[in-house]
Amino acid sequence: MSATDRKVNVLLDILISLRSFLKGMWVTATNLVAREKVTLQYPYEKPQVSPRYRGLFYLPFNEKEQRLNCTGCTLCEQACPTKVISMTKLGAGKHGGVSEFNMDLGRCMFCNLCIEACPFDAIYMGSAYELASYDRDASVFRIEDLAQGGKRSVEINIKTISEALAEEEKAKAAKAKAAAEAKSAADAKAASAAEERQAAEKPAASEPAPSASPESPA
Amino acid sequence: MTLTTTEITSPGMTLNMGPQHPSTHGVLRLVVELDGEIIQSCRPVIGYLHRGLEKMMEARPYRHNVPFTDRLDYLASLNSNLAIAQAIERIGNVTVPERGQYLRVLLCEINRLASHLVFLGTFATDLGATTVFLYSFRERERILDLLEAMTGARLTYNWIRAGGVPTDLPEGFGERLTAFLDEFQFALDEYDRLLTGNRIFRARCEGIGVISREMAVAYGASGPVARGSGIAYDIRKVAPYDVYDRMEFDVPVYTEGDCMARYRVRVEEMRQSARIIRQCLREMPEGETMAKLPKIFKPPPGEAYSRTESPRGELSCYLSSDGSMNPTRVHFRAPSFFHLGLLPAMLPGVKVADVIAILGSLDTVLGEVDR
Repeated sequence: MSATDRKVNVLLDILISLRSFLKGMWVTATNLVAREKVTLQYPYEKPQVSPRYRGLFYLPFNEKEQRLNCTGCTLCEQACPTKVISMTKLGAGKHGGVSEFNMDLGRCMFCNLCIEACPFDAIYMGSAYELASYDRDASVFRIEDLAQGGKRSVEINIKTISEALAEEEKAKAAKAKAAAEAKSAADAKAASAAEERQAAEKPAASEPAPSASPESPA
Repeated sequence: MTLTTTEITSPGMTLNMGPQHPSTHGVLRLVVELDGEIIQSCRPVIGYLHRGLEKMMEARPYRHNVPFTDRLDYLASLNSNLAIAQAIERIGNVTVPERGQYLRVLLCEINRLASHLVFLGTFATDLGATTVFLYSFRERERILDLLEAMTGARLTYNWIRAGGVPTDLPEGFGERLTAFLDEFQFALDEYDRLLTGNRIFRARCEGIGVISREMAVAYGASGPVARGSGIAYDIRKVAPYDVYDRMEFDVPVYTEGDCMARYRVRVEEMRQSARIIRQCLREMPEGETMAKLPKIFKPPPGEAYSRTESPRGELSCYLSSDGSMNPTRVHFRAPSFFHLGLLPAMLPGVKVADVIAILGSLDTVLGEVDR
C-alpha cells in the first residue's frame, strides 16, 4: 500500500467515524428533546407508589367495633417463611385479640404470604418504604408502630377486648352459677328420687347385697 | 534480527478479577494467569454469595419456598418463581386455571424484557457505551412500574405461586402495557441501531469469545448462549409449558457463536417477547387465576422436575417428597452456573480486555450460581 493510499484510508476512516458519531449524537439529541423526563430528584420528590405496593405493614383499626381486627389466631405467624411475626394473645374465642404484635422487619422478605393467610383482614401492607435504620432493634416494629392510629388505637383495642372478655367471663360465671344451681337442684331431686326408689325397693328386695351400701346412688 | 512471540517469554502474572469488580455483575472472582496481555488460564471462583437456599427450602413447607426463589435470579425473579411453582404443581398434581397460565406467561415475558434490558445496558456500558445503559434502564423503569402495579414489588415479586397467580391484573394494566410496548418497539430499534451500527462496539464483539456448537453442547450451555452458537434450543418450543404451545413466536438463532451473536439473540428475543405479550393480552380468557391448594399441603411421596426457559437459559427445579410437609430435596439447575463453566475453556488465548466483553455476553447472575 502506498503512502497516499494509506492517507486516503485514514481520512476515510475519520469520515466514517464522524458519520457514526453524528448518528449517535442525533439519537442522544432526539432523546433529550422528544422523550419526557423520567428522573425524580428522589429525596425531595417521592415517587407515587401503586395501590398494591408492598411497604410497611399496618393493622387496620375497626371503627365500628372499636378494636383491631386481629384475633390472635397466629395464621400469619405460621404462614411466614422467616418467622418475622410474634404475638401475645389477649383472651381467646369470639372476643379474643392481641395485646402485642411484633414484626422483626430485619428478617422480612415482604413476600405477602402473611396477608394472604389472614382470614380476618387484620394485616395489610401500606405504602411506607423508607424503613432502614442505624439500629438493629429499630427494625422490630411493635403493635404501636403497626396499628392504624398508633398507641391510642392499641389502648382502645385492649380496653374493648378486655371489657368484652370480662363481660364474657361474667356471663360465663353467671351461666356457670345458673348451671351449678340447676345441677344441684337436679342432684337434690335425683337424690330424693333415689331415696324414694330405695324406700320402694327395700321391701321388695328380699336378699341384701353385701357390697352395695345404702347411700350409693342408684 | 526478528523475534517471534514464542521466543519472548515472561514469568507471567496472576490477576484477580473480582470479587469486587464492576464488570463481573456480582461477586465473581476470576483468577487469570497472564502472559503479557494474553490469558494463559482462567479459574472462576464462586461461592461468595452462597446462602444455602436449597437447604433452607428443605426446612420449610412447600408454599414457603417460593419467596426464596426470588433471590436466585434477581433480575428475573418471576421466572425463578415459575420453576419451583411448576415443580410443586407436578408433585402435588395441581392444575393451574387457564387464565392463571396466561398470566404466568405474560408476567414471565415482561420480566424477560426487564432482564434483557439490564443485559443490554450493562453489556454496552462494560464496553464503554454509557448512553444505552441510561436508555435501557429508563425503559426497564417503566416495566418495573408495571410489575409494581401488578405485584406490589419492584424486584422480588413472588407473584407466581404454586397453583397460579394470586391476583388478577389491576385496573388499566392492559392499556398501560400496550402503550409501553408501542413505544418500546420503536425505542428498541433505536438502541439496537445505536450499538449494532457502532464500529467500536462491533470491533469489540465480532469474533470475540467464540463458542462453537460442539462446545456449547458439551458444556451444557442453554438459552441465548446456545442459540448464539447455532443451537435452536428453547424450552418454550422443545417442551412447552403453560400456554406457550399456543403462542406464535420465533426462536432467534445465530451461528457465529461470538459476543455479537449472543447480543443479537437477546435483542431479537425482546421483540419476540413483545409479540408473546401482545398475544397474551389479546387471547386471555376470563376466569380464576389460582387453583385452591389445601391449607396443609402434603404431596404424595415422589419426585418432580420442571424445566423452564429463564432469560438466562434452561432453569430447572427438582423436588422430592416423602409425603410430609417439607420437601426432602430441592435442587435448581441454574443456567448461569453452566455458562461460567465455559470460561476456563474459552478464555486461554484471549486478550485480557476481552474478558469483560465475554463475561458480559454470557449474562450470568451470581445469585443463581451460588444459591
